[in-house]
Amino acid sequence: MKVRYLAAALLVAMLAVAASTASGGTSRSHATKIVVWLMNDAQSGWPEAVALANRNFKAQHPDVDVDVQYQTWGAHLTKLDAGLAGGDAPDVIELGNSEMSKYMAAGAFKTLSQSAFPNNKTWLKGLKTSCQYNGKLYGVPYYAGARAVIYRKDQYKAAGIKSTPKSLAQFMADGRKLMKKYGKDSGYSAVYFPGKYWYFAMSFVYDYGGQIAVRKGGKWKATLNTPQALTALNQVKAVFTQLSRASKTGDEANPQQSLVFAKGKVGSFIGNGWEWPYALDEKLGNPALASSINAYPMPSHIKGRFMPTFLGGSDLAIPVTTKNQSLAADWIKAFTGTAAQSEIAKAGNIANTTKLLSFNASNPKLAPFARAAKFSWFVPTSPNWVNVENANVLQNMLVKIATGRASVKAAANSANSQITRILNTGA
Amino acid sequence: MASVAESEFTLASRRRRFSRRRLGRIAAPYVLLAPAAAVVAVVLAYPLYLLGKMSFEKYGLFELIRHKGRWIGTANYSSIFHDAEFWRVVLRTIAFTAVCVSLTMVLGTAIALLLLQVGRVMRVALTTGLVLVWAIPTIVAVDLWRWMVDFEFGVANWTLTKLQLGDFIRHDWFANPWTGFGVFTALIVWGAIPFVSITVYAGLAQVPHELLEAAAIDGARPWAAFREVTLPLLKPIFVILTSLSIIWDFQVFQQIWVMLDGRPNSDYYTMAIYAFHESFQISEYGLGAAIAVVMVMFMFAATLVYLRQMLRTGEVR
Repeated sequence: MKVRYLAAALLVAMLAVAASTASGGTSRSHATKIVVWLMNDAQSGWPEAVALANRNFKAQHPDVDVDVQYQTWGAHLTKLDAGLAGGDAPDVIELGNSEMSKYMAAGAFKTLSQSAFPNNKTWLKGLKTSCQYNGKLYGVPYYAGARAVIYRKDQYKAAGIKSTPKSLAQFMADGRKLMKKYGKDSGYSAVYFPGKYWYFAMSFVYDYGGQIAVRKGGKWKATLNTPQALTALNQVKAVFTQLSRASKTGDEANPQQSLVFAKGKVGSFIGNGWEWPYALDEKLGNPALASSINAYPMPSHIKGRFMPTFLGGSDLAIPVTTKNQSLAADWIKAFTGTAAQSEIAKAGNIANTTKLLSFNASNPKLAPFARAAKFSWFVPTSPNWVNVENANVLQNMLVKIATGRASVKAAANSANSQITRILNTGA
Repeated sequence: MASVAESEFTLASRRRRFSRRRLGRIAAPYVLLAPAAAVVAVVLAYPLYLLGKMSFEKYGLFELIRHKGRWIGTANYSSIFHDAEFWRVVLRTIAFTAVCVSLTMVLGTAIALLLLQVGRVMRVALTTGLVLVWAIPTIVAVDLWRWMVDFEFGVANWTLTKLQLGDFIRHDWFANPWTGFGVFTALIVWGAIPFVSITVYAGLAQVPHELLEAAAIDGARPWAAFREVTLPLLKPIFVILTSLSIIWDFQVFQQIWVMLDGRPNSDYYTMAIYAFHESFQISEYGLGAAIAVVMVMFMFAATLVYLRQMLRTGEVR
């Protein structure tokens, strides 16, 4: 008899489980909330812009809440993949411009109608290109960033540096002067350059006429072992060993390089526009440095020119799994309109529209970055590129170079073959 | 006669009842097992089946979004078996596991023996310490260690320098994979010792005192008594602890992942990290699944040796 009771109980339990999963599958009649994933840069750098967009959106849709969830660059794609697989990715997502192609090619995003979005005629060309795939638009430009040298005027002066360097050779010589003046403190860096900071390191490669990879006859070929690239990487090594005491295995975000700068033992670092105000942040940074901080575009090895800077940036997209496409689009409109974009530019970025470029040029705190942005480089435009980033190929190569565990040539050769393999996977 | 007829009647009815009861008795274990079997089927068997299936498929981001892979036979396996990186990772994982398991077992047993020798107060203090270590969640423990070995502000560098053991100011433990894995070995052995110590201590308490006394009277020195009396008696415990440690250390992931910000250099890839990297970082879920299947095979082989030995010597009843 007990057996029969047990069997009956089991049956009831199984039915209950089945019923609960079934009820979980019913869909909502109308949305009361949209979920937005932004990177944590917005949280620390331009929260006002996000608040403004939310207010504008709320005015338009009073009964819909906006749940902005901040993500980290290290983990957001893994989470997006899980969301896409499980059917509950966010309604709006921010992606780095170098991360877009892989997802556009895989059909992860809804197609968008360009004319629906504000300032669509004046979007930054570089960003707009990163939102298009096979002639269709899958994203809306969000903001761009260019890096420049952020430095301590007082330290430069005390070390006898009269003007900011006009060539890479001068940059190196000035760095050595700083090391001579302050380097007795074993924690001091004339140029804070952590081992995995590939955006800065690759600028040397493009400056010397090299590239990461080229496309020939439908096939990608990595080109980090060319003489130009090797010369550049040797120069990178010189900065690591002579001017920097940053962690040779660390990166620019852990700890935030601008906050390390704020601690006082850094003569200069290569940062985005928003990192200048961030270094002066009242809680995390050091407001007392306000009078001694300034910036200049990184000089090229050719005197009088600038070294190309990585044209970083972000786009906003709508994953295919969303059920709230028009609400998602409305939020993007609110966030990429002129009002919110002005806030984003004020925080030290380059807005998504050329209409606001004059705004940057007229502000002394933004002008060096706007000037640097005129000479830029971008990653190879392959849908597989983001896999190179996620596989840490360039970071691994740079750590090997910085720590001296491998020769520049050996490290470059190894990275080169990996990049070629990854870029041609599935092609 | 009447009594005989009566007893025959009851016998028949009893037989009927008996056969029903026997049926129940045969069915009972299966019915009792059913809930557990259902849970295992849902949380283990089905995912394992999917993993196995996926390892024979091209399963990238495109396929992930459409929830449908493309059958490619053994291409994933031949790709990893021809990958020099894969074999480096396998060797590294095996060596790392061997070092961690040996250290855990030796140090854990040593502490258990120590527990047997010290006085009551020390025993309570030591056991409390062990339990506290055991109680710290892995992620918290990793963050604690991360602070201790921090390149700039870590107490490890400060202490070593103060002790005049060299200049460790701004020493980067992870710049060299040997010292980096040294840190990971210390972290993992530290975390694993409590379980081993407490279990072995419980086992040691069961070793009859007379046997050890007899051995001592026969002239056995402590080491010989330990080897000839204690060790054979505790063999089943050691076998279980060792195989469990192998399973745990072979699939080490969080410690390395969290300590290195989720972006470990390829020098720090273990099999678990390599599988995660191939699947989730470069979206080659099929390749990642194949690596995971190979990993499961390795662990299965390792535990099979022990299970067979246990069954053959008849120590498990």
